[in-house]
Amino acid sequence: MLLRESGEHTGDDYELAAMVAGDGTGGGVAAGAALTAYADSFYEEGRAGFAAARNRLHEEIGGEALVDAAGVLAIFNAVVRVADATGIPLEEQKAEVSADFRGELGINDYPAASGKV
Amino acid sequence: MSGETAAVRTLDYRLSPLPVRGDLVAAQQRAWARLAAPGEWWSGAVRLAIAEETRAAENCGFCRERRAALSPYAAAGTHETATDLPDVLVEVVHRIRTDPGRLTRRFYEEALAGGLGDAEYVETVGVIATVIAIDSFCDAMGLPRHRLPAPLAEEPRRRRPAGAKEGLAWVPTVAPEDLTDAEAGMYDGLSAVNIHRALSLVPAEVTGFFDMDSVHYLPDGQLRDYGTEYRALTHAQTEFLAGRVSAINHCVY
Repeated sequence: MLLRESGEHTGDDYELAAMVAGDGTGGGVAAGAALTAYADSFYEEGRAGFAAARNRLHEEIGGEALVDAAGVLAIFNAVVRVADATGIPLEEQKAEVSADFRGELGINDYPAASGKV
Repeated sequence: MSGETAAVRTLDYRLSPLPVRGDLVAAQQRAWARLAAPGEWWSGAVRLAIAEETRAAENCGFCRERRAALSPYAAAGTHETATDLPDVLVEVVHRIRTDPGRLTRRFYEEALAGGLGDAEYVETVGVIATVIAIDSFCDAMGLPRHRLPAPLAEEPRRRRPAGAKEGLAWVPTVAPEDLTDAEAGMYDGLSAVNIHRALSLVPAEVTGFFDMDSVHYLPDGQLRDYGTEYRALTHAQTEFLAGRVSAINHCVY
């Protein structure tokens, strides 16, 4: 949802579907394809392609931003567990404004979405 | 050397080829020190055993088998453990670590039926999340993980917020209007949205986790300030990556 807001502020039309599906197009975000590869390979069994994906991201965004990216990936790997393990729901207002794309992108079908949206 | 100093000494990035921001290092050192210290319901030794078990779950054959099963309840087996934590706690730690996208209220209720208190459960989630965040940062940087600190030998405080209520989530939570003096600062710097309330049955886990969150992600006050970039990673890149991680984990957040 914040990605959509960010795009509205800057006049960019980001493709949320690319983010959710991980289709590799990057959704119109600078280095989006490299960010997708970085995240996806982190979660692959054995992480065989992760070093290459990290090097690619480093080349595209630089060392300082790579450290930022590692921080975001790391904390969200934890945040999802805080949310899913406590059964905390989305706020009503957030659920309303995200209803269109959650339905379209299949987010409502996640097992963890039950009772939370 | 104080216990906190000892804990901090097990975590640094001096050998990292890329410089790690000082605020990130400091937040992780504070989190590492908190892991070793007694919480509200668990001693430092138990908190570190939970951290150790969180790491062990990644190599647990039963967890791997269960994650591959159509339903988490379709697989039967025994966890490969690294500690002497009770079975109910091992199950909670392993499941949250390895299969968070399929957690349901049934899972939480089974943990309580197995003898875990609701606040003990919430503190456990906070410890798991802390060690996952820091281990994941190391993994994402391609660096070795930090050695866990030694536990401090003090007693848990055992304070439950008087304003905790059932209803919002599976676990009881504390709304901002129900704060008492004992946990008055819990939401300082936070907007007290639902994700901030998730761990509020154990206020120290809220302040501790979101102390880390604000430097790894962005402080609340900067999240929607799209006119200013506070990091080398832009707002759009940050949200795209965060959203991709949530999607991979099948999380609605």
